[in-house]
Amino acid sequence: MSTESVELKQENNWKRYFTWNTDHKVIGVQYLVTAFAFFLIGGALAMLIRTELLQPGIDFMDGTIYNRVITNHGSIMIFLWIIPVLAGFANYMLPLMIGARDMAFPNLNALSFWLIPVGGLFVLLSFFIGAAETGWTAYVPLSIQAPDGQTIWAIGVILLGFSSIFGAINFVTTTFTMRTEGMGFLELPLFVWSMLATSLLILVATPVLTAGLILIAMDRVFGTIFFTVQAGGDPILWQNVFWFYSHPAVYIMILPGMGIISEVLPVFSRKPIFGYIAIALSSMAISVLGLTVWAHHMFTSGMSPALRVPFMITSMIIAVPTGIKIFSWLGTIWGGKLRFTPSMLFSLGFISMFLIGGITGVFQASVPFDLYVHDTYFIVGHLHFVLFGGSVFSVFSGFYYWFPKVTGREMNERLGKIQFALMFIGANLTYLPMFASGMLGMPRRVVDYAPELASLNLLTTIGAYILGTSVIVFFHNAATSWLRGPKATSNPWRALTLEWMTTSPPPIHNFEELPVVTSGPYEYGETPGASDTRQTLEVTGD
Amino acid sequence: MESKTTDKSHSNLIYTIIFILLAVITGVEVFLSSPILQISRGLRNTFFILFSLGKAGLVAAFFMHLRSDSKFYTYIFLGPVIMLLIFAYVMVIS
Amino acid sequence: MEKAMETMKAEGSHHEDHFRAGKALGLDHRKLGMWLFLSSEVMFFGGLLSTFLFYKVNNPSPSEVALLDVVLVGVNTFILLTSSFTVVLGLTAIQRNNVQGVMRFLGITMLLGAVFLAGQGYEFVKLYYEGMTLSSSVFASAFFTLTGFHGLHVFIGLIWAGLTIFKAYQGQYSAEEYGGVEIFGLYWHFVDIVWIVLFTLIYLV
Repeated sequence: MSTESVELKQENNWKRYFTWNTDHKVIGVQYLVTAFAFFLIGGALAMLIRTELLQPGIDFMDGTIYNRVITNHGSIMIFLWIIPVLAGFANYMLPLMIGARDMAFPNLNALSFWLIPVGGLFVLLSFFIGAAETGWTAYVPLSIQAPDGQTIWAIGVILLGFSSIFGAINFVTTTFTMRTEGMGFLELPLFVWSMLATSLLILVATPVLTAGLILIAMDRVFGTIFFTVQAGGDPILWQNVFWFYSHPAVYIMILPGMGIISEVLPVFSRKPIFGYIAIALSSMAISVLGLTVWAHHMFTSGMSPALRVPFMITSMIIAVPTGIKIFSWLGTIWGGKLRFTPSMLFSLGFISMFLIGGITGVFQASVPFDLYVHDTYFIVGHLHFVLFGGSVFSVFSGFYYWFPKVTGREMNERLGKIQFALMFIGANLTYLPMFASGMLGMPRRVVDYAPELASLNLLTTIGAYILGTSVIVFFHNAATSWLRGPKATSNPWRALTLEWMTTSPPPIHNFEELPVVTSGPYEYGETPGASDTRQTLEVTGD
Repeated sequence: MESKTTDKSHSNLIYTIIFILLAVITGVEVFLSSPILQISRGLRNTFFILFSLGKAGLVAAFFMHLRSDSKFYTYIFLGPVIMLLIFAYVMVIS
Repeated sequence: MEKAMETMKAEGSHHEDHFRAGKALGLDHRKLGMWLFLSSEVMFFGGLLSTFLFYKVNNPSPSEVALLDVVLVGVNTFILLTSSFTVVLGLTAIQRNNVQGVMRFLGITMLLGAVFLAGQGYEFVKLYYEGMTLSSSVFASAFFTLTGFHGLHVFIGLIWAGLTIFKAYQGQYSAEEYGGVEIFGLYWHFVDIVWIVLFTLIYLV
């Protein structure tokens, strides 16, 4: 980051994306492209699942192959798609948003990225030597008895965990030590706050999963007997260790997305965010509380019954900060001058779908209800409403929002709206029937089901095919726009956060001169101050 | 070894005192663990836990400079420790 | 109250202090990064330790507990504590610009660390020949895994110590620039603290 690099001709060729590059913007793109590639793979596995489940009866997959498909669908979507894609946005945008020239530890950042394709390779390779087939939750003793691919899968997940942890170290250190002058914590964009909350979870929870996966690997490879039931090994031990990470994992997958929503809504409502401090603090609250709810995944496991009550209570309490966010977002758009760009549409879709997902989550927090629906399609419906309707929608919202900044080109708005329509209809058609089939008793992770559930499954599969179509529309839009889209200005959305105060794409050193911040990040609709000299900041009289 | 200021040689003294404390406590612990002594398990274990917390605290506060550095580092370290205590407790009684 | 922005006249980015905001908070970015890493290590050892405690409490193996050599490992604990002391002495040495001093003290640290590992190795072998193995009981599985990963961390610390000595030899540290030594110290002290806890919960309690 010396003057020499400022004078270097910016190497815009595509080859640098395949190298060890320490520029956070290159790393961000590496993350994003890799994650989207895994999204396609995970999505293809989903299409296989829904095609098999189109009708009752075994159609083209036997039970074992089906188990491998669902295991890797889940593992890929969680560890190789959602977590990295959000980390990719954070990598690209966080330094820009705080007015820094890069992350605190650029080499560690490059390592964090390169662990993704390596870890992903392990997970994919496992398919060829007898894949993991236990579900992504790898419960013992099944995961001890499963074929060799399970060990490879475990190693892959451990590597991906390291990637996540190193990334979190970078995000927190950068935010605390590299903010530009005038950017105190109360001037931080909410996306940055969400990354702080996410990083806390990553640092505290991920290492416990690492420890647990090591226990499984030790049993499988080195002859330890942690999970040999006859010797006193306890399956519940694994569940505790696993869920201690995997519940916070879902907050790791949603908090950055919520941060994106908080960025997008004010811009396309031309209104300040409603309840900035409430949203910032509720992110931290969700993070801390998120570490105390894990055993609600274990209500039917045979865990000590009295212990279920505190977990039910904490799981219900966590709905409060979440609700605060929803109300704040509604307060933001209320009375605003809304502009329905694809980015805005996905954010609005997020609110409605996450609401359904979140409320069904509160149902499940109740022990008596969960005893009935645990491991049924009710859970599958819930998780896809929050993860697809929530996280994935937020990813597309962020993608349409930040695409001009990253690529210097605009995406096609009409195609974006078509994608949104197909995706919104597709997602609801896919996942709503699952609540019904779950309540009717359809278990999850089954290759076959009772004939009475056929029409619900038919609806779901049709919805899935519509979803698949919407994804094709997206990739067509993204690819053609990146290659041939119209050139974008530095601030096409007339937003106020710092990433928009530099060119699209930014120069290698991010800003010609580091900005000095004198006000908050969302003050839309206010009269420009006398010191304002930039056309792009004019926001009155929209 | 030249000492530029009395400040610096003063700090070596502190470290030496802490080290001697750590050594003595360790010695006491090994002695207490001897089966010859007729102390109840509960009392013995209480001492062991207090001693280990004391030793860990001394290393963290003085050798790792938590006492003289920003309080933030202390929070970063203590937070997970508390979380760990909760997790270990829930695990053991599950 | 627009988000107005004045721009600083850049005198060339090499005059910029990228970490100004951290310094204003009293935070050094390398130390902050290391403490964040250590907090994740707390949870890693926590996971293994919780497993050990679970089996120690719910599936005790008194015959194997009797085989544990408290005196030997007690001496080993003392050795590791001494090695932490020598790291601190090395740090104060370089803070006084004494490069020979920091090299010497870190060298002693490496020696003591190696003795610790040898002692642990001896304890492992002894236990093995007395019938306590990775698979002899869940208690044993947890014992070896927990102490084994601690040993691995000590081993990594030895390599790191060696690298630090080498960098000192190359003149990379001084009274003004000793951050690298301090960061290594944080790691080594942490490994020591983990052992303090492990020694108590495995050998004493």
